[in-house]
Amino acid sequence: MRKRRQKRFQKFTIKMQKKLVVLFIFVLLAFIALSLRLIKIYRDKGNDYKKQVLSQQQTDSKVLPFRRGDIVDRKGSKLAYSEKVYNLVVDAKQMNSDDGVHLEVTLNSLRDSFPELDVAAIRDYVSKNPASRYKIFAKKLTYDRVEPFEQLLKNGVSANTAPKSSKGSKDSKDSKDSKGDKDDKAARTLAGVWFEEDYQRRYPYNSLACDVIGFVQGNNAGFFGLEEYYNSTLNGVDGRQYGFMNEDAVMESSIRPAQDGNTIVTTIDTNVQSIIEKHIAMFMQAHQNEYREGPAADNIGVIVMNPNNGEIYGMAGYPVFDLNDPSNMDGIDLQYYMPAPVSANAADAAAAEENTVEEVPVDTVSENGAEEKQEDSPETKAKNSIWRNFCVSDSFEPGSVMKPFTIASALDSGKITGNETYQCNGYLPVGGFNIHCHNRLGDGLLNIEQGVAKSCNVVLMNVAFAMGKDEWLRYNRIFNFGLKTNVDLAGEANASELTFNEDMGLTDLAVASFGQGFNVTMMQMATGFSALINGGYYYQPHMVSEIMNAEGAVVEERSPRVLKQVISEDTSAKMRQYLRAVVMSDPSECTGWSARPAGYTEGGKTGTAEKYPRSAKNYLISFMGYVPAEDPQVLCYVVIDRPNVPNQAESTRLATVLNKDIMTEVLPYLNIFPTEPLTEKEQAELAEAAGDFSTGSDLVSGNEVQEDSEIGEAGLNEDGTIVIPAEEEVQRDSAGNPISENKIRYDPETGYPLDPATGEALDPKTLQPLNGDSSVLPF
Amino acid sequence: MSKSRKSAMDVNLLLAVIVLLVFGLIMVYSASSYEASLKFDDPSYYLRSQARATALGVIVMLIVSKVDYHFLRKIAVPSYIISLFLVLLVKTPLGITRNGARRWLGVGALSFQPAEAAKVGVILFAAALLCGKKGAKITNDWIKNIITMAAIGGIPALMLYAITSNLSSAIIVFGIAVVMFFVASPKYWYFLLGGAGAIGLGALVVKFVTGGELSPGAGFRLTRIRAWLNPEAYASGTGYQTLQSLYSIGAGGIFGKGLGQSTQKLGFVPEAQNDMIFSIVCEELGLFGATAILILFMILIWRFMVVANNAPDRFGALLVVGIMGHIAIQVILNIAVVTNSIPNTGITLPFISFGGTSVLFLLGEIGIALNVSRSIQI
Repeated sequence: MRKRRQKRFQKFTIKMQKKLVVLFIFVLLAFIALSLRLIKIYRDKGNDYKKQVLSQQQTDSKVLPFRRGDIVDRKGSKLAYSEKVYNLVVDAKQMNSDDGVHLEVTLNSLRDSFPELDVAAIRDYVSKNPASRYKIFAKKLTYDRVEPFEQLLKNGVSANTAPKSSKGSKDSKDSKDSKGDKDDKAARTLAGVWFEEDYQRRYPYNSLACDVIGFVQGNNAGFFGLEEYYNSTLNGVDGRQYGFMNEDAVMESSIRPAQDGNTIVTTIDTNVQSIIEKHIAMFMQAHQNEYREGPAADNIGVIVMNPNNGEIYGMAGYPVFDLNDPSNMDGIDLQYYMPAPVSANAADAAAAEENTVEEVPVDTVSENGAEEKQEDSPETKAKNSIWRNFCVSDSFEPGSVMKPFTIASALDSGKITGNETYQCNGYLPVGGFNIHCHNRLGDGLLNIEQGVAKSCNVVLMNVAFAMGKDEWLRYNRIFNFGLKTNVDLAGEANASELTFNEDMGLTDLAVASFGQGFNVTMMQMATGFSALINGGYYYQPHMVSEIMNAEGAVVEERSPRVLKQVISEDTSAKMRQYLRAVVMSDPSECTGWSARPAGYTEGGKTGTAEKYPRSAKNYLISFMGYVPAEDPQVLCYVVIDRPNVPNQAESTRLATVLNKDIMTEVLPYLNIFPTEPLTEKEQAELAEAAGDFSTGSDLVSGNEVQEDSEIGEAGLNEDGTIVIPAEEEVQRDSAGNPISENKIRYDPETGYPLDPATGEALDPKTLQPLNGDSSVLPF
Repeated sequence: MSKSRKSAMDVNLLLAVIVLLVFGLIMVYSASSYEASLKFDDPSYYLRSQARATALGVIVMLIVSKVDYHFLRKIAVPSYIISLFLVLLVKTPLGITRNGARRWLGVGALSFQPAEAAKVGVILFAAALLCGKKGAKITNDWIKNIITMAAIGGIPALMLYAITSNLSSAIIVFGIAVVMFFVASPKYWYFLLGGAGAIGLGALVVKFVTGGELSPGAGFRLTRIRAWLNPEAYASGTGYQTLQSLYSIGAGGIFGKGLGQSTQKLGFVPEAQNDMIFSIVCEELGLFGATAILILFMILIWRFMVVANNAPDRFGALLVVGIMGHIAIQVILNIAVVTNSIPNTGITLPFISFGGTSVLFLLGEIGIALNVSRSIQI
């Protein structure tokens, strides 16, 4: 049987078996060759291909940008919003598809629709980078310009062409054999252009509140102000459109929509803000190049806020810039904002030793500024100094505006009762040398109220000594000096290294009592001052009252927050009484009378702080005022750093008048009505154009009492007061005795007037010591 | 004379097939789930379709493995004729066009590719013809040999190419015939000559293609040759699939991104679950996984060789040789395409690529090989 089968079916011979083994070896070799090929691909091109895979993931799934939220003012006016714009993207791969039948028609249509496009460059790019899927050739096109071209993309160039099903249908692999149907239709169909949605940040008020709002650069990154502080709140989450190829090699997509950002409702009042900026601009114009070449002041800052809840109505500095084009500094002379050579300051700082306070621009603007990273050119630094918000980012010695804090601390701690009187002889010997009052001739016997009203350093020093260093420091901390206020703005200065600590000496305490020797920011001062006058409640200052989502629903409410009670209601009431005296007293008895807006009662405090180096006789003048004096509703803090006037020390009036001008316009706007009768003169003034801005510096005349605080290098102090040239004007000598012009003794040899108290020679015009350095002590 | 003992079926072969099938199902699911969920809202659409075909195929395999393969000799000629007739049917209204190619036959919801049937028909017919009734058919007679080759390989290949314009299937069918003829023939020099001739012809074609400008009317096959030589230059068209496949291999690295982690399958590699599934294997499992697959196929082919060399007679041996040729050719050509070693042409990877007809007929062939292995006398 077996034999039969063997006969019927041939054997698989040995020879065949051998050939099968040969075949097997061939197959094995082929497999090995393929394995080697795989390894070679991986080894030679692995990294390239890996990158290619990553990059095509990015280009084939496109980002759907979110819309950054708006910034609106307290009435809902948009201060910043994002507008949809379009980027023109060329997909070279698509444009070249179908053997390039779409190329010419697409390029021609592009030329017609966007004349500014360099079509030759596109042609060049497309031929050189046929695999490119994504290249932007035009940015920020508006919808009006894009829409007609979108129609062309959809319908082809000729009207009777049937719409194409999908613009992506062309970028496919060459699928089996659907080639060859290149008819007219294809030649009239555009391919390889699409519009990427994007958003453009717009600031409809251009430069208004520029320091507060900040701006946006690049990919929705906020710089400065609210844009930076609320960056993550304003930003949403990008969506994504995923492309994929289906079996018919048609591009399809699935979409995850973008999540738009939240809108922030600020406490800014656009009208208040523009009033502030108008008056700052007028001031800057009026005093430009007045005494020296350059702007009217190195810095100027104004904060208007509600002292009863910490809401900020307006905040401004100078110069301003257009938020829509923040790098454009046309019209601003950058040289004045470039950093000064440091050497002078450094030498001074070394000399000052113990008293390490130095006028340094503290802390600063966020480090993430792209422009700041590359080692800043002077120009970049100048731009940054213009972008930064002086009101929160710069610290300075506050000067006499600090005095109410010293008084309030002493009262609240019970160290004084308010009934004390002090004798002012124009100076007080402290630690071996004399610290002068601004009125070197002395103000005589003063009670606390008079001391505040006249801004008498001697009274303040005595009050501080009554308190002692520990108590003064304790209250300094209660008022949060040295801490950030945590106002919701980017770049708040950290002045913690620039305040006194337990090491402070007697002289430190003496000068600290009237606001020299340590640094504060405007925001700290305005916030603390609000607490002094509102019953003692320290509110967190804030710019944002509400956060709304993209649909307009409120997602977070930021109600006013009392952080603590810093002084008692009684102390606060007393402070209001004293501060009222600063403005409402007879002009001869006070320093701030010129700050009062006609028809209102106002309280406040002037300040004239001498800057480092003391020898340069540069001053920072300021005024903190509030209306009405009895029931504060609006607080206005004006700081003018190094006013461009001949005698800065006596220019405090610039600050008070600026305060008055701003208050005069802001108060009616905020529905705070006048309570006081108007004099004829005031009526006439009001009737005049509101914009007529008189500086009053020309009123400073020779017979004013000069105040000076200069005591040498470490010198201290202060207050520019303008005393009206009234007939009952009384000048007092250092001992507080009234003196008159003819009573002053003159040096028979030089003809210079002599200080009746000390016998020092005085400048005949200013009555300041001619050689003030005579009293210099090594400090 | 005692009754001859028959061995059990070849377990190693069966195991290799099962591992490949399971692995194939996993890879089909991995490669297709993204597209399936987008297109059919059902990530397991392709998987279930493939699993059904595989289950059916396993049943067919088991049945066939029980049928004495000598029966096949009786139906060799009819099945050859029927399979070629089915290829002809594609031109009738029964034909179905997919992806722009008319290669399927359909009745109701069922459809299949006659090319797969033709491969089996050729294997049966060639095995029968090459061991004819009166001993070896292969002589030194030139004319006879050419007629034999034409009958077993030439005609079916030409028909597949002409009727379904399916070059890849034509190549496979012809390749199967060549392999079987090679093993059955005592000669080497025919094949050396033939191989040299084929290589020379290929070089000439390449020279012609790259030499001058292609006229726009030149067929897509010539364009494919150009794309093969320089895929980057054809990245937007013909070279796209190849290039994406290479990207996947490069992106996978040595150990791959991990099963299911391919990004290339997300619409970048066309036919990810089909012709190009090996590139997804490379991306997800790396060179390591790809080599493992190659080794599995090598084991399978080695078992075919062992079974053929121990087959009780020439017909059985030639059947297994044909099956071995079929699988080896497809694996080699598929991976060669994926690695851009040859111009792009659509060839599936046996047992792993998606495709119901393919897996069904392949499992039928495995059934035949198993039956031959059972007949081995010890």
